[in-house]
Amino acid sequence: MNRQAAPPDEATSSSGTAMIEIIKVTKSYPPNVTALADISITIASGEMFFLIGKSGAGKTTLLKLLCNMEKPSNGLIEIAGMNIHQVTGNKLAKLRQRVGMAYQDFRLLTNRTVAENIAISMEVSYKKPHIIHDRVRNLLAQLQLEDKHDILTGDLSRGEQQRVALARAVANSPTLILVDEPTGNLDAASTEQVMDLLTRCNHSGATVVIVTHDEAIYRHTSHRIMKLHDGKIASLTRGTGSEQPLAADALNATDLADKSGDMP
Amino acid sequence: MNFWFAVIRQTGRNLRQTWATQLITCLTVSLSVLIFSFFYLIYLNMLSVGDKLSDNLHLVVYLEDEPGPEMQEQLRLKITQFDQVEKIRFISKEEAFNRFAQQLGDNREILADMPTDFLPASIEVVPLKTLRSLRHVKLFSEYLATLPGSQKVQYGQQWVERFYSFTQLLSIIVLLSGSLLILTATFMVASTIRLTIFGRQEELELLKLVGATNSYIRTPFLLEGLLQGLAGALLGLSALYTLFQWTTHHISGAGFFNLLTFTFFPFTIISIIIALSIVLCTVGSYASMQKFLRV
Ligand SMILES: Nc1ncnc2c1ncn2[C@@H]1O[C@H](COP(=O)(O)OP(=O)(O)OP(=O)(O)O)[C@@H](O)[C@H]1O
Ligand SMILES: [Mg+2]
Repeated sequence: MNRQAAPPDEATSSSGTAMIEIIKVTKSYPPNVTALADISITIASGEMFFLIGKSGAGKTTLLKLLCNMEKPSNGLIEIAGMNIHQVTGNKLAKLRQRVGMAYQDFRLLTNRTVAENIAISMEVSYKKPHIIHDRVRNLLAQLQLEDKHDILTGDLSRGEQQRVALARAVANSPTLILVDEPTGNLDAASTEQVMDLLTRCNHSGATVVIVTHDEAIYRHTSHRIMKLHDGKIASLTRGTGSEQPLAADALNATDLADKSGDMP
Repeated sequence: MNFWFAVIRQTGRNLRQTWATQLITCLTVSLSVLIFSFFYLIYLNMLSVGDKLSDNLHLVVYLEDEPGPEMQEQLRLKITQFDQVEKIRFISKEEAFNRFAQQLGDNREILADMPTDFLPASIEVVPLKTLRSLRHVKLFSEYLATLPGSQKVQYGQQWVERFYSFTQLLSIIVLLSGSLLILTATFMVASTIRLTIFGRQEELELLKLVGATNSYIRTPFLLEGLLQGLAGALLGLSALYTLFQWTTHHISGAGFFNLLTFTFFPFTIISIIIALSIVLCTVGSYASMQKFLRV
């Protein structure tokens, strides 16, 4: 069995370098919760990648590992060739400036305005005020939130907060965008705006990882979709409408066969 | 946009968000600066008064008999054995008489019937002009009393002693108020910064996640402490200056005080007090940050 040495799939080979390299990663929480078990996956630079699975499968945990909010109990994670859990200090800060994350619980500063919340991710990398101002206006226009510019985020609806969180994640034009349930509270039209925005970011070169429950946003995609189940990879498919297992780089064929019994 | 622009903007936000606490801290710091510098100013002025007094300070040793040249040499030797002195002068009976007559001026007729040797001969000893000499003057006088032929030693005993214990008391008060300043500046600022940090835990956490560097997060808090120190010192010193102006203006003309000229701190001491206050407050904020800001 060629577990790690499997040939890269199309997505990886087409853009050359890997943006995310997850190698045999396990994450357990005390006392005995195993949120992720022995996950291995490579996501190419410039790829759009969907991560699905039922509640509690470990999706958010995986994103938290990717943005260094949590450390893996075991295994190795590399972002752009760097072991992010060994990077510290200013190097870690620089790395985080290149990674935009939209959190499932938003993490907005509720006593600050929409504009201030979005600006934060640009301020830390010392963008000029007029550039920040223009970028905020532009993003709010794309998400149809122009009129909310000076509203405190605490006063917004959940769906509006969700879009502000997304705007903050992409504002600094990061090379890696991680979004956790970006459309959970949105109607069809807003969902489309959000996906358009993410697609634009992807087209301009960003690697985008989207965690979602919303079948509508990955039903017609041609990108890879990974399904987690109880902290393990249940399937890795390329979205073409019909689910076809890929000869995934880091996915073991026997693992897949084992899992296929669990799957609906 | 550069680092300092970001830091100043962030400091501005901190101050705006917690201005009431900041104001109280600033006032506390300035009050302790005021108390400290008030006593220190009095102390410094007393020192210069002491300098002036010790300029005029001399001990007079009245002798039983007029010493001959040999005896004078011996006495001179004995005196310098105890301590170095500025000057030793022998005054003969005649000299004493003439001096007294001069002092009497137009009333000198009353001396007409007196013998020219009715005043005793004496030695005038001028100690070195340092405050130390003021402190030692009592011991010195006791020593001089043991000289052969010495009858009586005179100097302004009472006021010298009073003045000396007064300056000593002042120096203790200066030390105490100095410690008060150290305590309030560091602890008040530390606790204000701690409040700010706790109040913004969520934001600091987020800043870390979006890639703010440590110095981006920390420098505003240091700057806040620095500003507290600067503002507190300036406020305290201006209050003292106002008080000083008012006092000197109102007591001028009142007899005794006219003899002494009070002066405000020279520029160097003003700078040192400001720098001290800044350093203390910055140390306070740094300590608080080390303890509560895990970045
Ligand atoms: N800090 C924690 N301490 C203990 N257990 C945790 C912690 N964080 C997550 N877990 C557990 O890890 C598992 C995976 O959680 P995770 O948040 O990754 O799920 P998820 O796939 O994002 O679910 P959802 O779709 O509901 O957001 C869950 O069983 C959860 O209870
Ligand atoms: Mg989740």
